[in-house]
Amino acid sequence: MIEVQDVHFQYEADGEHDLVPPAVLRGIDLTIEKGSFVALLGHNGSGKSTLAKHFNAILLPTGGKVLVDGMDTTDPDNTYPVRRLVGMVLQNPDNQLVSTVVEEDVAFGPENLGVPPAEIVERVEEALRTVDMLDYRTHSPHKLSGGQKQRIAIAGVLAMHPSCLVLDEPTAMLDPAGRREVLDTVCRLNREQGMTVVLITHYMEEAALADRVVVVDDGLVLADGTPREVFADGDRLRQVGLDVPQPTALCAALRQAGVALPQDILTPEECAAALIPLIAKKKGV
Amino acid sequence: MAVLEVQNLTYTYAAGSPFEKQAVHAVSFCTRPGELLGIIGHTGSGKSTLVQHLNGLLRPTEGKVLLDGEDIWEKPKEIRRVRFRVGMVFQYPEYQLFEDTIYKDIAFGPRNMGLDEAEIDRRVRLAAGYVGLPEELLDKSPFDLSGGEKRRAAIAGVMAMEPDILVLDEPTAGLDPRGRERVLSLIEDYRARSGATVLLVSHSMEDIARVADRVLVMDQGTVAMLDTVQGVFSRADQLQAMGLTVPAVTQIMLYLREQGVDVGTDVYTVSQAVERLLPLLGGDAGC
Repeated sequence: MIEVQDVHFQYEADGEHDLVPPAVLRGIDLTIEKGSFVALLGHNGSGKSTLAKHFNAILLPTGGKVLVDGMDTTDPDNTYPVRRLVGMVLQNPDNQLVSTVVEEDVAFGPENLGVPPAEIVERVEEALRTVDMLDYRTHSPHKLSGGQKQRIAIAGVLAMHPSCLVLDEPTAMLDPAGRREVLDTVCRLNREQGMTVVLITHYMEEAALADRVVVVDDGLVLADGTPREVFADGDRLRQVGLDVPQPTALCAALRQAGVALPQDILTPEECAAALIPLIAKKKGV
Repeated sequence: MAVLEVQNLTYTYAAGSPFEKQAVHAVSFCTRPGELLGIIGHTGSGKSTLVQHLNGLLRPTEGKVLLDGEDIWEKPKEIRRVRFRVGMVFQYPEYQLFEDTIYKDIAFGPRNMGLDEAEIDRRVRLAAGYVGLPEELLDKSPFDLSGGEKRRAAIAGVMAMEPDILVLDEPTAGLDPRGRERVLSLIEDYRARSGATVLLVSHSMEDIARVADRVLVMDQGTVAMLDTVQGVFSRADQLQAMGLTVPAVTQIMLYLREQGVDVGTDVYTVSQAVERLLPLLGGDAGC
């Protein structure tokens, strides 16, 4: 789906200062497979959002190449096809809703693509149904909750029929229920419709939902593997300003105290399930 | 030591119009001097509307806000003085930096208070120290700082007014784990050194569990709970029904209990959980 080949990126020096800004990306190699669900982690300033903006040609590499379905993003003829294939959802839903009526907002993308009106109507309905917001089609987006707004933003991208969805901290401003709604929607899109998903997040337990976790640090890929593999090395993650999910941290601390627990626990359920036989055994002794 | 009391506060948006909506209904509570009070509630529960009353940004439709026993709206012309004593840090405060240097930005509040230059300078340097901004950053433009530094500079601007009561609306939103940890510890430090009362609005149950003394839970415009951290997070079912959660380690304890393990569920951090679980597991000591 997306191939990132030895990508370097550096913002241009501005006229006033002679300083050359430091390189943000320093040689990233990464392949995002079709249909996969990849979580992108990294501390603030690590370069992960800059990298994500290369996936749909918002930024172009200053070195190396990004190929989306084989199309080189630096070729201006590819800009629009690439943006149609890779849709982006941002952190703040209020910055990406443009209309005063939900269905008009969702129609904005396909209208700009020149989709015939009858088909726009179909696409809007389908997209709103997918994010479970069809009942709100005539509402004003500004009166919805954060989670609902973010689902409308996702519907707006879906109506352009992308094959990949890139979400840059979509839950940072949401309450727990809103986070749940958005994550459920994203997981469903990936599992049921085979949508390729790239999720940038600062919540480790959200990253645990992905098939694959890629950690970016200082413009390079620091770790790449399944959530179980990546979160097994908590010390390395903490060194780069990240963390592991609480259940993983708890198991690591207990292991250090000599309890025989597996390294790859991610969720509270798994943690409890691993603890119960150990507690029962101890009681039996 | 200042005490903030909210008495029977009701606030109605667009009263008298077809869009009339009661956002906060008959809320009463009282802060304890020097405490850290966490405020949680789902989006739309009324918590932001409530905190905007605490320094007079909104005026109650009904009810009162008392600062040291005095109604803050007793003399509406002097509401500015209340704003110096109750400092408010909004969501994403880094977007509110506007001066050309960090120093001037932090000095903006104290300058508005009419303090002399020497006192302003003392406060700017002290507040910058509280939030861990080195001296050499003070002359830089806000645009030259990282996101985390900008956030801390904005918080310093409010701390420099040396408010008796500091209110922060989601100060850790959008920060990475280390940035989150850093902001939480600087809030704790500030409270320890200044003795101020701190009110912290957050969507992160883990953050609240880590720093709060008491927690106020807002639901549908009313106070659903006001209790110790332990008292609130022991009611996981009720919290979930309100669209909230408990910290993940608390969830683990609840699962264990469901499975018949005799373990207390008043556990909110990893280190507390380790302490509680090790005796049940034996570990090194037991074997």
